Amino acid sequence: MMSLLMTLAAAAPYKEATFWMPESASTVAPQVDGLFDFINIICYIFFVLVVAALIYFAVKYRQRAGQNTFEGGPTHNLALEITWTAIPSVIVIVMFVLGMQTFLDLRTAPSNSYDVSVTAQKWSWTFQHPAYAVTEAAELTVPVNRPVRLLMSSQDVLHSLFIPAFRVKQDIVPGRYTSLWFEATKPGTYQLYCTEYCGKDHSKMLATVHVLEWDEFQTRLGKLAREYEDIPESQLPAYAINRLYNRCASCHSLDGTTGTGPSFKGMWDRTQQGTTVFTDGSTLKQLQASGAEYEIPENYIRASLVQPQRHVVQGFTGAMPSFQGQLKERQIDAIVLMMKHLDTLVDADGNIIENPDLGGDEEAPVEQQEGSTK
Amino acid sequence: MSTTDTPNMTGPAPVPDNYLTYSRGIWSWLFTLDHKRIGLMYLMSVLGSFFIGGIMALLVRTQLLVPEGLIMDQDQYNQVFTLHGAIMVFLVIIPSVPAALGNFVLPIMLGAKDVAFPRLNLFSYWLWMTGALMFVLALFTGGLDTGWTFYTPYSIDTGSAMGGVIPALTGAFVLGFSSIFTGMNFIVTIHRLRPPGMTWFRMPLFLWAIYGTAIIQVLATPVLGITLALLVVERAFGIGIFNPALGGDPVLYQHFFWFYSHPAVYIMILPGMGIISDLIAVHSHRHIFGYSFIAWSSISIAIFSFLVWGHHMFTSGQSELVSVVFSLITFSVAIPSAVKVFNWLATMYKGTISWNTPMLYGMGFIFIFTIGGLTGLHLGTLGTDIHLHDTYFVVAHFHYVMMGSALIAFIGGIHHWWPKMTGRMYNENWGRIAFSLVFIGFNLTFFSQFMLGSQGMPRRYGTYPADAGFQFYHVLSTAGSYILAIGFFITAGYLIQSLLGGRRAPSNPWGGRSLEWQCTSPPPHDNFSEAPAVGDCYDFSVLRWDENEQGYVWRDDVAHPGSEDVS
Repeated sequence: MMSLLMTLAAAAPYKEATFWMPESASTVAPQVDGLFDFINIICYIFFVLVVAALIYFAVKYRQRAGQNTFEGGPTHNLALEITWTAIPSVIVIVMFVLGMQTFLDLRTAPSNSYDVSVTAQKWSWTFQHPAYAVTEAAELTVPVNRPVRLLMSSQDVLHSLFIPAFRVKQDIVPGRYTSLWFEATKPGTYQLYCTEYCGKDHSKMLATVHVLEWDEFQTRLGKLAREYEDIPESQLPAYAINRLYNRCASCHSLDGTTGTGPSFKGMWDRTQQGTTVFTDGSTLKQLQASGAEYEIPENYIRASLVQPQRHVVQGFTGAMPSFQGQLKERQIDAIVLMMKHLDTLVDADGNIIENPDLGGDEEAPVEQQEGSTK
Repeated sequence: MSTTDTPNMTGPAPVPDNYLTYSRGIWSWLFTLDHKRIGLMYLMSVLGSFFIGGIMALLVRTQLLVPEGLIMDQDQYNQVFTLHGAIMVFLVIIPSVPAALGNFVLPIMLGAKDVAFPRLNLFSYWLWMTGALMFVLALFTGGLDTGWTFYTPYSIDTGSAMGGVIPALTGAFVLGFSSIFTGMNFIVTIHRLRPPGMTWFRMPLFLWAIYGTAIIQVLATPVLGITLALLVVERAFGIGIFNPALGGDPVLYQHFFWFYSHPAVYIMILPGMGIISDLIAVHSHRHIFGYSFIAWSSISIAIFSFLVWGHHMFTSGQSELVSVVFSLITFSVAIPSAVKVFNWLATMYKGTISWNTPMLYGMGFIFIFTIGGLTGLHLGTLGTDIHLHDTYFVVAHFHYVMMGSALIAFIGGIHHWWPKMTGRMYNENWGRIAFSLVFIGFNLTFFSQFMLGSQGMPRRYGTYPADAGFQFYHVLSTAGSYILAIGFFITAGYLIQSLLGGRRAPSNPWGGRSLEWQCTSPPPHDNFSEAPAVGDCYDFSVLRWDENEQGYVWRDDVAHPGSEDVS
């Protein structure tokens, strides 16, 4: 059975979705699917036997008019009962052994894996590539045909990383590291979910996995590594709204709608004028006096990013995690500038404008930068 | 004791003195020590909670009709699915069979006048009420959005707006004690109050199942109580037990929680299996096949249930060795469950099967439980569980077991003992129609969720990606839930109608042999005026249908037990 599963693995690197399973695009997926199908066949056989007997007996032995007395019938049959205890016992032991082998393959990462650090927090994913010093948000770029190992930690509560197409899943537990590995077999885009309930926007805690050929992967990561360093000041706001805002989006709207956190719309005006009121009843104005903490209003935005619990705005629960260490200085600059220029970055309905006065699509600021610096 | 000879009239005469008319007034109910009245009060309360939990379920299903969510925002959705789970588990399924039907039936089946500790029994009921009120309080103090599992550290730090966590935890704690006392009461009753002749192996299988359940209730529930108490202490006073920020361990919480909650799955399903063993035998009019295998399988399920909790945690970060061991032990639970199914089928073989409502529920149970049990294999197998864990596949599996099996058995049991409890017969045709709707609606609702889950739809999502192909199955599932709801409303309708205008029930409408069918319907206050004679409760050859009585009576050519031993 196992050798058959292994053969399947070698023969089918990628398979379209079937009735039961989604598309299969990792080296372990065919093995998992083979096991699933094997269990299914056992289930179909037992189900058909049980239901056929049930319906046949119910019809054949139904009580007919005039049947007013009954026979006693046998009370037991030891041989029969031992048989139908023993046969399922053997079947489930086979199932256990196959399941264990697949599980150990799923859990044992090859030693030559490409490592990515994953940080989960309510309700966003951050993926860091130590080899390139690159941080991605809500997007994970990995090479095809190469084992990838994710070393995962949580900033707050339990999360769980699940990529259906790869058949992998692992909980992420605050206070310790957990890991999982996979080897993607086909370039493409795959959905990543959080599958451990983590509060309000659990169902929006999604990310996209981009699987690229090795050269494309290197080029892409190389670009990402330089993107915020080399962007001129004038393009930082567009960079922030296109590349950083997706980590804020589950809580902070752009159109004035109140979410888990206050909307970004008008946030810079409120900050400058000091009209923001905190849960203890104080106002930002009081902290902006000469020589006070936020005499320079930009410092309030910075504090909100790295120490969000310090001042919680009235009407909100202070659910925001700290981004200390996750955002580079230049990225904080970019977010402050994004706040200041939000009106030119988004339209009245809160939609991100494709071509703000800088021009280009999502990738454009980076692309443009490449050209101008080289 | 039974009215076996009522000549010259069709159907039995009204019973002059029964437990319903024994005393009057609201206080005679609220402070009754009669196990039958307590059982009936549990039944009303459990069905009331089932209604509320059911409304929550319909809200969840309606929300998921469209990918972006139809009727609620995320916070509301999280509260609704949490309350649906918490109400259905703690207020409905756990007390349903043992506390409601068990309380009514157990002492009569056993041949006793009451449970061993009637005052403790009433206290259990009031504890249940208190626990239920704490849940209501949780709603009004800010709501509850932790999921019924209260996983840490989320349950510790969920914001001040969710102030309902501590009342809900306290409620579950109090409900735990209600469950412990009921279990204790039943264990002592079965050990001490069996009349002469009622040996262990003459007990109806329902009693073996309740006995196995009671062992779990007494041994496992205290662990939940302490775990929830620790969580309250942690949340209220910031003492680090489960919160990693305070040096605690969130995975420890999962071990503690499932050490109770996996056995609790068997608190839910074992009594259901007990009901089905009796329903299948009585309505097939055929001796139960393999009595001792079924009896011992109940006890072995109760014991094994304590050893498999780690299979809820294959992806939690527990060690691989631990996962492997738990997977192996988990498969051992599959065997006694399979044995029961085969025994039920063998009981039907060459029987005389009446297609009345309780039997339809019995056969529906076998169908649904077979699916629920078999899909447990995908989840017990490590390699496939990793993909399926925390998806709708798990949701479908446990609804097949807890709703489709445990609750369907409960509803079958209500139909089986309704004539005994109320003294009235319900309309059989409406019963069959409602069963069909419940059966079709249930399978439509939950079978589609197997495909949803294996295709990757995670649990506890109020919205889902529009391009993942999930919506088709969600729409099917929601349509099924509406059919299911209609089935339940019809059931409520004809049951209430039977109270108002139903035909009077004979002592033994189905042809049962266990002792409750020997008392009048409804039973007298004291159940039995003298210790009843006990025979083989699955030997139906001594009964015959009586047209005048519209029920089953003792055959004239067979001696009564008591005059000589007929077993």
